Amino acid sequence: MRRTACLLTGTALVGAAASLVAAAPAHGADGASAAGGLRVYPSSVVPGEIASVNTAACGEDTATGDASAVGAGQFVLAPSTHEGEAIGQFTVPPSAQPGTYEMVVTCAESGRRITGDLIVTLTHARGQVHPRGSVKTGVGGALGSDPVQTAAGVAALAVAAAGGTWLLHRRARGDGI
Amino acid sequence: MRKVGNTAIATVTGVALCSGVWLLSGGPGTGSPPQPSAAEALTGQAGEAPAAPALPPSPPDRIRIPAIGVNAPLTGLGLTRTGSLDVPPAEEKNLAGWYEAGTTPGETGTAIVAGHVDNTAGPAVFYRLGALKKGGTIEVDRRDGGVAVFTVDAVEVYAAKDFPDEKVYGAAARPELRVITCGGGYSRGTGYQGNVVVFAHLTGSR
Repeated sequence: MRRTACLLTGTALVGAAASLVAAAPAHGADGASAAGGLRVYPSSVVPGEIASVNTAACGEDTATGDASAVGAGQFVLAPSTHEGEAIGQFTVPPSAQPGTYEMVVTCAESGRRITGDLIVTLTHARGQVHPRGSVKTGVGGALGSDPVQTAAGVAALAVAAAGGTWLLHRRARGDGI
Repeated sequence: MRKVGNTAIATVTGVALCSGVWLLSGGPGTGSPPQPSAAEALTGQAGEAPAAPALPPSPPDRIRIPAIGVNAPLTGLGLTRTGSLDVPPAEEKNLAGWYEAGTTPGETGTAIVAGHVDNTAGPAVFYRLGALKKGGTIEVDRRDGGVAVFTVDAVEVYAAKDFPDEKVYGAAARPELRVITCGGGYSRGTGYQGNVVVFAHLTGSR
């Protein structure tokens, strides 16, 4: 009996851990493809404009989205051109108030539910942080010669030196060139 | 017979000498990346191709610039701790990135794409960006299945120490695109001195 209880606790823990992973927002360089989360573009939406919702949680499956919290009702997510990802778009009502709203996406076949936040701001400027300054997109590697090429150049010069030496040697011996 | 042998050896020696000098002095495909001329500078919106209506937001998947042979996937980019735009992993030479917290390419506003001019192994995805001309076409494949078509308005080069943030990253009233890579001269101690920045606006979609 005690053993069963332990097993049950273990199962519950695994379940809890799995749901934590599923609920964690996707971050990182390719966050949109990280399994589990909802990704919203733009990162904050102005009332009256369109939001794009992407998820990799449903694989190649279609899904239904629910944005009724913000008053936008239901929307459909269809497989996107990005492998294993679905995309859906809906208009945020012009009357929507600024704030954070929960959206729920349900995969059509698996029935899996994924939630994510929609951030509504009154102006674009308030929601967006622009980068600053220059971008470090080069190291000068195209300017110096690469090691293989340098080695090939040295080898070619060695062949030339050997050939030249041999010819000079024959000439000195009076073999006639 | 000996004469023939001598001629062959002299020829091989000559070819080896020439190719050795050529390889060590730069050889194929190396040298400074092309930089834009003054003729490609920003001149305002007069005379530009008419702007196309904005597209709904959708993350992009790929960028294509036929005039300079670019066809590369796009990864999402964030900001560094100092607030500058982060860059794609340098070891993948045919990979560009887009600023994910900003405007998606095709919607109203300024979408930002960046890629390396080179990495330690040699030229990378935007090596020839500085050779792009006004009127050139940039296509961005979007994940909603559409293609955003941009026309180049200007190709500028800016020094890092005097970078015009507002001009490059600032908001726009129509769908615009910036494509950024390194440029503006190179010094062994401090690397590239600035950035080549391509300004473009949406002129079509399909």
